[in-house]
Amino acid sequence: MKAMNRRKLISVSAVLAVASLAATAVPAHAAEVGVRSSEIKLGMTLPMTGSASLGYNKIPGAAKAYFDYLNANGGVNGRKITLIVKDDRYVPTEAVAKTNELILKDKVMALLAPLGTANVKAVASSVNPAKRGVPVLFVNTGFSGFADTKKYPTHYSILPSYQMEAKIMGKYIAENLADKKIGLLYQDDDFGSDALAGFKTAGTTFAVKVPYASGSQSSATAAGWITKFKAAEVDVVILFGVTSASLYMLATAAALKYAPQWMIDSVGGDSTTLKLAGVPAGVLYNAIGFSPVPATTDLTDEYIKLFSEIYAKAVPGSAFDLNVLLGMNSAFMTAQALKAAGLNPTRKSLMAVLNTNGASLFNSALSPVGYSGTSHVGLTGEWVGKYSPTGDLLPIGGTYTTYITDSGAGAVVKSTYKRPAMPAKGLPN
Amino acid sequence: MHKLKSVHHLGFFIVFGFILFLASNRVDELRVYQGASVAVFVIAIASLILLTGYSGQVSVGQGALMAIGAYGAAVVRNELHVPILLSFFVAVLVAAAGGALLGAAAARLSGPYLAGTTLALAIGIPPLANQFSILGGEQGLAFDVGNPPASLGEDFTKYKWFFWIAALAALISMWLLSNILRSRYGRNWRAGRSNEVAAQLSGINTVRSKILAFTLSAGIAGLAGALLSMTIGTVSPSAFTYYLSLILLAGAFVSGISTLSGVMIGAVVLVGIPEIADVVANRMGSSENISTNLPGFLNYALLIVTVLFVPNGPVEQHHARQARKAAKKKIKSLPKPSMEGNT
Amino acid sequence: MIQFINTTLIGITAGSIYALMAISLVLVWRSTRVINFAQARMALLSTYFGYEAMVRTNSFWIALLVAMLGGGLFAALIELVFMRFLLKRSNSGPIASVAPIIATLGLYGVIRAVTASIWGGQELQIVAPVSNVGYSIGTETLVFSPLKLLILISVGVLVLLLSLLFQKTNIGLALRASAFSPEIASLSGIKVDLVRTLGWSLSGAVGAMAGMFQTVDGAGTFSPDSIGFTLLFVSGFIAAVIGGLESLVGAVIGGLLLGLVISFVLMYISSSLFFIAPFVVLLLVLFIRPQGIIGVKAARRA
Repeated sequence: MKAMNRRKLISVSAVLAVASLAATAVPAHAAEVGVRSSEIKLGMTLPMTGSASLGYNKIPGAAKAYFDYLNANGGVNGRKITLIVKDDRYVPTEAVAKTNELILKDKVMALLAPLGTANVKAVASSVNPAKRGVPVLFVNTGFSGFADTKKYPTHYSILPSYQMEAKIMGKYIAENLADKKIGLLYQDDDFGSDALAGFKTAGTTFAVKVPYASGSQSSATAAGWITKFKAAEVDVVILFGVTSASLYMLATAAALKYAPQWMIDSVGGDSTTLKLAGVPAGVLYNAIGFSPVPATTDLTDEYIKLFSEIYAKAVPGSAFDLNVLLGMNSAFMTAQALKAAGLNPTRKSLMAVLNTNGASLFNSALSPVGYSGTSHVGLTGEWVGKYSPTGDLLPIGGTYTTYITDSGAGAVVKSTYKRPAMPAKGLPN
Repeated sequence: MHKLKSVHHLGFFIVFGFILFLASNRVDELRVYQGASVAVFVIAIASLILLTGYSGQVSVGQGALMAIGAYGAAVVRNELHVPILLSFFVAVLVAAAGGALLGAAAARLSGPYLAGTTLALAIGIPPLANQFSILGGEQGLAFDVGNPPASLGEDFTKYKWFFWIAALAALISMWLLSNILRSRYGRNWRAGRSNEVAAQLSGINTVRSKILAFTLSAGIAGLAGALLSMTIGTVSPSAFTYYLSLILLAGAFVSGISTLSGVMIGAVVLVGIPEIADVVANRMGSSENISTNLPGFLNYALLIVTVLFVPNGPVEQHHARQARKAAKKKIKSLPKPSMEGNT
Repeated sequence: MIQFINTTLIGITAGSIYALMAISLVLVWRSTRVINFAQARMALLSTYFGYEAMVRTNSFWIALLVAMLGGGLFAALIELVFMRFLLKRSNSGPIASVAPIIATLGLYGVIRAVTASIWGGQELQIVAPVSNVGYSIGTETLVFSPLKLLILISVGVLVLLLSLLFQKTNIGLALRASAFSPEIASLSGIKVDLVRTLGWSLSGAVGAMAGMFQTVDGAGTFSPDSIGFTLLFVSGFIAAVIGGLESLVGAVIGGLLLGLVISFVLMYISSSLFFIAPFVVLLLVLFIRPQGIIGVKAARRA
């Protein structure tokens, strides 16, 4: 009985080994991996399902909406861009497994907008895109470390880091709310500690700091946070967490008739998402918010106007929010970089474009991109706004005043950057 | 007889190991990486087979024990710069210590009470890493086993190195485990599982036996955890969700939870199903709603199908069929009972 | 002082939702000796039923009724079609205890995938029937509102009704007898199979109530991946185990205890202990009483 078992297992494993041999047929050799005469393949991993997917699961649809628009208008030098998206459910093991599939099986040219610091770090360590020369474009996290070209030579950040945002918040507080008592809600992990570091550099002092465990957000825990803020009698409450944290905080505050001066971070402050998730517009009214890109409801902005039209046609019925805007923005920049990489783009030529000319990529953001050969820092600034009576974030004073800074000890200054006009029809020229 | 059997076993494992070594040289990187993942799951599932299949303690918390082992290995390697082998040993020891504590607490619990406790453990342990900066927080700790030795050549990829390490660890631990399961301890566990009172009456200290099962199972799970971290290069709480604990139980079930022989089947299923589900979902390429949710649907649907149709695990099912066939043959070959009665 | 009062109130209201889920798990356990890992997902599906009713009738109460009926029917269907087949196929030993876990786990994923495919991933809203604005005492606002009072009353009424059902009616007697000893029950003429299905459908209805109340007491919106539903099963299960898995009152006590402990730990010690606190409570309770607070120590086939 046992001998038969053993023999069976040996034969099973032998069959498995042979089968896996057969499954690894090498495709026809192309000029560059992921680039064919008619198509360029890109890959994306992010949480599409699971409790970390709230809001983010709109990003693939947004990016694809832009790429479809681009492809219908000639693509990039005649090539269509195909985006392959895989769900990693915010688990690093799956991020690594799916990225392996993208790079080794689907053979994509580059990775676009992977999400989550822990996941991107795991992929960087295990899959090692740097060693394979695979560009990782516009990493979707506020962790400042991915800008370090020594550790992550092929990674390109895009979002302002959490430290940058905290410093900008700190500057605004110092200039406008210097005599008020400030309270801070933050996530009790690296997201939060990055924020604390930024606030420390900015010199902000807090009457009370309330951490929350990631994943514990609910109306019950929010009631607990509010109880603590009330006990400390703060005038201003900064929400530096994810969308669900702001969501429960604001909804519960309405129920508890708690109305301090709110200050919301960009990650957790998208008005469209918050309102759709049940936050009354009246609660958001007069809260202070920040964003690196124009307000998603500002149809006077040429990018917002074009992108929301494209998105409404591609995904009818779906609201145009910050995640959609950032997704389309990154897709637009990717298309430009690919075009500038030449008639026969390679991974190297793509990265060369970003390293030398990255700052000149057109995009909707109101601060310049900081790419160079020695630093892959993305956007460096945000403008300060207030939420309108209808709960939409609009710039204070009507015009966008962007503050820029770095992730270190540099000062926060007003930006003099004038965003160049969008290329015709929002297509790479 | 016993000695012969374990030597026999050893021979089998050596041959199997050689086959794996050959296969790893011919197969592309993606499969090699998946092979390493399979090896990790083999070890993790085996820990459950010991704990639940042999000792009868249903645990929905192996993921937490894997996390403990992984963090133990990473901390020791990062802070004390010990060689890789030693960090794996530490993983086993630390997790085993955790298992001993848990086992002592859980020895009086059974069935759903034990399941609930282990589930609470699975949820509670990983987030603790956020509290201590030495454990790296949400971003995680780096866990680097280093590059393959230069003597193996330029083309020897890091994934192949992972595969060799993981496969070797799996082979060794399976050999050790199969011998332990055959021994007196294995028999004691089985006895305690089928009828605790009877076991106690025949002189087995079932409480001590249960705690031993927990300790050993935890140590093995800790090794799996450290190896898993090796394959992703980091240790972070999000790699050890309670979902992991649940699918380990599922994998153990699919393998045939009361026997070690089918352990590779479960491991291959756990690694292969997500990919198959993705491929099928892509083929069917319909609306975004469906294509996002189809892989998840297929994953779980397959689980249900397995449970409904192969509940005892494919190996046991096969044995049962063989036994029935053999019994039928035997009955046919018996002399027909005479109609006039016996004289 | 107000902080202490509010902490207690927060714990009680959170605990009442846990209690509802715990009750539904206890109902399943008592009737079929299975832990239904898909319970929260079934509650999610029922909440979608309620949402559809809400959209058409604009009445929360009708929506709640529809959710409970739909949830009950769906649960009965699962028991008839799925669980029976499963229990026939898996014989004794470790397989018998593990098979239902894996099967209901599979069900959990399938239900999630199907609901997300049908309704999509976006947030949908259910409006509460009464205000959720907190009562005021002078200048202070309590974390207690007409809605939260309603939830508490509903839980109380539910437990009362179910207890009456179990203790005072023939059906209740049949439910208890089949749980205690199916062989003897069927010998005395009770259709044990039907009773099992009834147990599941009751649990489905109660789960639906948990889902609906949790949604309106939260931000008012829900989606397939809402954090609330993800945590609901675990909280309910732990509460049920604390309470002893055998009694409805135990489930309520377990839920309230869990809610209060978490609330006080988060307020006065550290909010980072959110995930480990349930484990500690569970361990402490089971250490003192391994069968839970109101558990029965009788040696049943576990």
